[in-house]
Amino acid sequence: METDGPVTDDVAPETRQRKIIHIDMDAFYASVEQRDNPELRGKPVAVGGSRERGVVAAASYEARKFGVRSAMPSVTAKRQCPDLIFVKPRFEVYKTISQQIREIFAEHTPIVEPLSLDEAYLDVTENLQGIRLARDIALTIRAKIKDETGLNASAGISYNKFLAKLASDHRKPNGQYVISPEMGPAFVETLPVAKFHGIGPATAAKFNTLGIQTGLDIRNQSLTFLAAHFGKAGTYYYWISRGIDERPVRANRIRKSIGAENTFFDDLTEFNAMVAALQPLVDKVWQHCANTGNRGRTVTLKVKFADFGIMSRSQSMPTAVSNRGELERVAISLLERSMPLPKAVRLLGVSLSTLQTNGDDAQSQFQLPI
Amino acid sequence: MKVTVERAQLLKSLSHVHRVVERRNTIPILGNVLIRAENARLSLKATDLDLEVTETLAAEVGTAGSTTVPAHMFYDIVRKLPDGSQIVLEADGDRSVMAIRAGRSRFTLQTLPENDFPDLAAGEMTHSFALPASDVKRLIDRTQFAISTEETRYYLNGIYLHAAGTATAATLRAVATDGHRLAQIDLKLPKGADGMPGVIVPRKTVGEVQRLIEDLEAEITIELSQGKIRFTLGNVVLTSKLIDGTFPDYGRVIPQNNDKELVIDKKDFENAVDRVSTISSERGRAVKLALSAGKLVLSVTNPDSGSATEELEVEYASDALDIGFNSRYLLDIAAQIEGEVAVLRLADPGSPTLVQDKDAKGALYVLMPMRV
Repeated sequence: METDGPVTDDVAPETRQRKIIHIDMDAFYASVEQRDNPELRGKPVAVGGSRERGVVAAASYEARKFGVRSAMPSVTAKRQCPDLIFVKPRFEVYKTISQQIREIFAEHTPIVEPLSLDEAYLDVTENLQGIRLARDIALTIRAKIKDETGLNASAGISYNKFLAKLASDHRKPNGQYVISPEMGPAFVETLPVAKFHGIGPATAAKFNTLGIQTGLDIRNQSLTFLAAHFGKAGTYYYWISRGIDERPVRANRIRKSIGAENTFFDDLTEFNAMVAALQPLVDKVWQHCANTGNRGRTVTLKVKFADFGIMSRSQSMPTAVSNRGELERVAISLLERSMPLPKAVRLLGVSLSTLQTNGDDAQSQFQLPI
Repeated sequence: MKVTVERAQLLKSLSHVHRVVERRNTIPILGNVLIRAENARLSLKATDLDLEVTETLAAEVGTAGSTTVPAHMFYDIVRKLPDGSQIVLEADGDRSVMAIRAGRSRFTLQTLPENDFPDLAAGEMTHSFALPASDVKRLIDRTQFAISTEETRYYLNGIYLHAAGTATAATLRAVATDGHRLAQIDLKLPKGADGMPGVIVPRKTVGEVQRLIEDLEAEITIELSQGKIRFTLGNVVLTSKLIDGTFPDYGRVIPQNNDKELVIDKKDFENAVDRVSTISSERGRAVKLALSAGKLVLSVTNPDSGSATEELEVEYASDALDIGFNSRYLLDIAAQIEGEVAVLRLADPGSPTLVQDKDAKGALYVLMPMRV
C-alpha cells in the first residue's frame, strides 16, 4: 500500500554518505495475533480467510517451516500444513500498532518512508538524537518497539535503500545486520538475481535465460546490454549490481494509482454479471477520487482468470476522468472489447493512474488566511 | 422473531439505512443492519461507528425479537422481490440464520448476534430545536460545496453550525471553508437553540441528512450536545458524532471594506465562465477577469491548446482591475446564487472577494483569487 501524502516531498540531501535503516516487523500480523491470544503462541498461524477463496495475508514462523507463505491460497496452505490455524485479520489493530511504530521512528528522524503497515525506510544520516552509529539507532528503535508493542522487528543498516532492505532480511527474525560501503559490492556479487528487490520471478527467469544467475553476472554486463533487455529497469540493475542506489528516502510518497479489486466467490462467465461486479469497484475508486481531489487520466481493467492467469487493459483519456459515469463507461468498454474472455473470471480490478492533483493550480491559488 | 412487512415500506427504509454501511468492513458486525421487531413496529439500524441511522416502520409482529444480517445483501434481496409483496422475516434464536419469505421466494441470511451491534451511546442532548426541512436543506445546499476534503485540517471537514448574529437578530449560522473559498448562511435562530455550542457536523453526516430530506414541508428536530448531533425526520433518526476540533475564526477572512462593486447577471456570467473554461487544462483552471467601466472581459489561456475570451456588459464603475479565479470555484459559487443578479465586491488581485445575491438572502461567499 502506498500512503496518501501531500504533494510536497521531504527529500534527504544526497551530497554525502547516507545512513539508511530498513525496519521490518517479523511476521507482523501473525505475531500480533499470537501476542493477543496466548493459545496461538508456538503454533502455526495464518492470518487471512480460511474459506475456499481466501489467501494467507501473513504466516507465523511456525507456519513458515511448513512452507506457508503470504499471498498463498489458503487451500494450498492448509495442504502444506494441516494443523494451520486461520485467524481473521484485525486491520484496525495493525494500523494502531503501525502508528505506534511510526511515532518511535519519528523520535529519530522526520525522513521516514513507510512501505506498508509493518515496513519502512529511515534516513538517519542526520538523526534527532545525535546517535553516531546507525547500528545503535536501529538497536534503540527495535528495543523500544519491543518495549511498547511486545513485538519483534528486524533491521537492515546500510548506505542505500537497496542494501538496507537486503540487510534486514539477513538476520531475520529479531536481528539486525550492517552492510558497510566496503562490503556492499561483495555482498551483491554472490546474491542470486531472484533475491534482488524489484526482481520478481518473471524477470529472474529472463535473467537466467540470458545466462545471468548472480549479482556478479549482472555487473559483468554493459549498461547498453541491460537497457536493451530490461529498459529503464536495466539501468537500475546496472547500478545496484555495483551496490549503488541513489533513490532518496521519501517522507511523503505520492500515490501513483487508485485501485480496487475483488475476488469472487464463484467465477464469472457472463458479461452482465461482470458489469455488475464492476460497479462497487468503480464506486470505491471514485469515492477515493472525490475524497482526495485526485483525478487520473488512465483507466486500467485487471482480469484474473480461474487459472490465475492475468490480463490487463488500459485506456488513457485526453484529460482526467471527471466523473463516476465516465470511469464506469471506460471500464465497461475495456471489458466489452476483451469479450469473449478465454476463461472464467476469478477477479476483477479497476484502477485509475496518471494521477494529477490540483497540480499547477495549487501553485497559483491564494489561500484564505484562515 | 417473526414479522411481516410490506415490501415497498421495507425497501424504502432499507434504502435509507443501508447507505451508512461501508461496502468493505474489517469489523463484520458493521456490515450488518440491526433488525428489531416489537409492538407492531419493525426498526432497522445501521452504523459506521461515527454515524447511525435508525428507521421505524409499521409491521405485523408475530413474535418480538431482534437479529442482524448483512445490510447490502438484505437490501438487494428486498429490492429484487416483486412489488406489492408481503415479506416475512423470521429468525430463530438457536439457528444463526434469518429467513426472508415472499411469495414463492425464500432466502436465508447468516446472522450475527444483536448484542455485538455497536451503539453510538448518544447520551444527554443539551439543546433541541426544530426547523422546516426546507431550511435545513438550504443550510446544507448552500455550504456543502465549500467543505474541505483535506485530512490534515480535519476541523474543516464539516459544516460549522452555531448561534451568531446580535441579541435582537440572533441567527443560526452554517459555515464551511476549504481554505480557498468560504460559504456562510444565516437563518433566524429557532427556539431552543439559544446558547447552543458551536458544532462541526461531518461531511458524511451532512450528505446523509440531505439525502433523507424528501418532504420539504416536514419538520426536522435537531438535538445536540458537545459531542453528538441527532436529526429526527419523521420515522428516521440519524445520530452522528461531531468533529472534535475548533473551527477557525472565519470572521476575519470575510472582507468588510472591499470597495469595487461588480453587479452581474448570474446566468450570463455562469455561461460565459463555463464557455471560456472549455479550453483550460485539468492542471490550470484559472480564468482572468479584466474589469473596466461597464465591461468585464473573461479570458483563459492554455499554453497547450489555445485561448478564449468573452466580453460581458456589467455594472461596474470603479478603477480597472485584473483578477484571476479558479473557474470551477466561480461556477460553484455562481450555482449558489438563488436570485438572478449577483454582486461581487473586490479589493485587489491578491485579496478575498465577497460574492452575494443582490437581495442578500442571508448567504455570503468568499473566494480567494489565483495568480494569473
